[in-house]
Amino acid sequence: MRAVGAFAWSVVQDALHRKVFYAILAFTVILMLLIPLLPSAEVGVQIDLLREAALGLTSIMAFLLAVILGSTIIPGELGRRTLYNTLSKPVQRWQYYLGKYVGIVLVVAVSLLFTFVVLILFVLIRFSLFNPGLAKALFTIMLEAMVLASIAMLASVYYSPLVCILLAGLFYVVCHVKGDFLYRGMTDAANNPLLRALSGIGYYLLPNLERLNINETIAHGERAFRVGPVEMLLLSAVAMTFTAIFLLLGSYLFSWMDL
Amino acid sequence: MSRRARGDEGMDTVLRVEELYKDYSTGWRKPPRTALSGLNLEVPKGSVIGLLGPNGAGKTTTLKCIMGLIRPQDGRIWLFGEEGVDARKRRSIGFLPEQPYFDLYLSPRKLLAYYGRLAGMHPSDIKAKTSYLLNLVGMGEEADLTMDKYSKGMLQRIGLAQSLLTEPEFLVLDEPSSGLDPLGKMQVRDLLESLKGGGTTILFSSHQLSEIEEICDGVAIIHQGQNIASGGLDELLRSRDESEIMLEKAPVAPHEGLPASASWTDAAQTRLVVDKSDLNQTLRILTGSGAVISEVRQRRMTLEEYFLEKVGSRGWEVGQ
Repeated sequence: MRAVGAFAWSVVQDALHRKVFYAILAFTVILMLLIPLLPSAEVGVQIDLLREAALGLTSIMAFLLAVILGSTIIPGELGRRTLYNTLSKPVQRWQYYLGKYVGIVLVVAVSLLFTFVVLILFVLIRFSLFNPGLAKALFTIMLEAMVLASIAMLASVYYSPLVCILLAGLFYVVCHVKGDFLYRGMTDAANNPLLRALSGIGYYLLPNLERLNINETIAHGERAFRVGPVEMLLLSAVAMTFTAIFLLLGSYLFSWMDL
Repeated sequence: MSRRARGDEGMDTVLRVEELYKDYSTGWRKPPRTALSGLNLEVPKGSVIGLLGPNGAGKTTTLKCIMGLIRPQDGRIWLFGEEGVDARKRRSIGFLPEQPYFDLYLSPRKLLAYYGRLAGMHPSDIKAKTSYLLNLVGMGEEADLTMDKYSKGMLQRIGLAQSLLTEPEFLVLDEPSSGLDPLGKMQVRDLLESLKGGGTTILFSSHQLSEIEEICDGVAIIHQGQNIASGGLDELLRSRDESEIMLEKAPVAPHEGLPASASWTDAAQTRLVVDKSDLNQTLRILTGSGAVISEVRQRRMTLEEYFLEKVGSRGWEVGQ
């Protein structure tokens, strides 16, 4: 586990030296602080609007970080040839792969923690309301970022960073609309067996990321329904399962990769 | 031969490579490029072996296969008497890739600490070893500066230091003198000599024939993915067909009638190379013309001559 830890820490160090990391973080916080200036921020729904928009911004930040880091670490190290030195040490390739993934998760987690503190303080100062329930939404954002990072890393074993970012974006979109769009494709496209089959495969094999999106519920104070511990556990299990599958697949492919 | 038997036999062999094949894909519908086509190689324990060959001959591919960075399509690699390449064996191997690259925001000290952690070294060992190695490669004073302003030669020195971090039994170096100034090259030579003296087995590729000739016990010439000649330097460079006559005193009288194969190798006419078949006739003529002969020996080729003889006769095509 020591090697995994060393690889993870190298990702954190690397991120701290990237300007894009600070730019994304700063952009998120600045936009968050500007939310009250929105024309639709009316009295009465201000707090809900602020929370929803802030959580939306936080999601975008977390997903961007996860996808950018997941897509660039392996191709970047391969391009810079730093992998030769690293993997000639007495380490296994899966340790490298897992360590780098854990590093991405750490970077996203630290960023989410930072925005969480900013958001909590902002809500507290502006509305005199302490709102730790926001942590639940941030937790599910983290889960979704973990899935996205694992799929971006899987793609990065074979593809360039740009292709990986596009693939991860496509994965995000398909997995968010699958509950509705793919289900209809699977059931309604009676005249097109190929479309039905593809929709069916996508529907049953891909995760339903929309289930992980509880931003709206949390933003509106869980008035419609409460997101309880059982729901959180189920969401965690789904996200972890898909993450583990993508990590295992990526690690296996990486172990056969010629450097 | 069984795997077990091969391992037992190879106790005095650090590395044995048998029939290694490797093709690289060049794109869809394009024929693959053959990098290795049945390469054999053996590195005895405690020896220093130089890997020679023209560009694209397969030297780097061979070294990468040995380190497990690429997988050959076919063939076997034995390390320390056991078949296969794995992380456990890499604990005893130091590797310097061709033109080493690092995360340049790190200082050499932090870089070596990172590699030390990967190698499972104790923090106190890492600290002591890092200082020692950085001083050894002449980078002690720059140990805490980030590497983004380092020259190619300085990075090469850091590469050498990291390859020695775990006190490896076997060193695999891809062009260790690349990018170094003459002083740096001399320091590398001295370093390799001292490691050799300490019993470290070394395999390194180089284009510097003089460097190989000075340091190595043996060479392997790789061409078009095959080992076309290998063995001890003395054995390889001793010409089988020519003798060298050393004269203490040049002939005083005109020495006409020397055989056509005879040629002086220096302006002072104190060294003469001649075909073995003409040796007796040449000696008679020389003594008859007043020359004093100090030594007659089998001629030793230079490594450059030998390399050109071997590779030149097969053409210079890169890969296939």
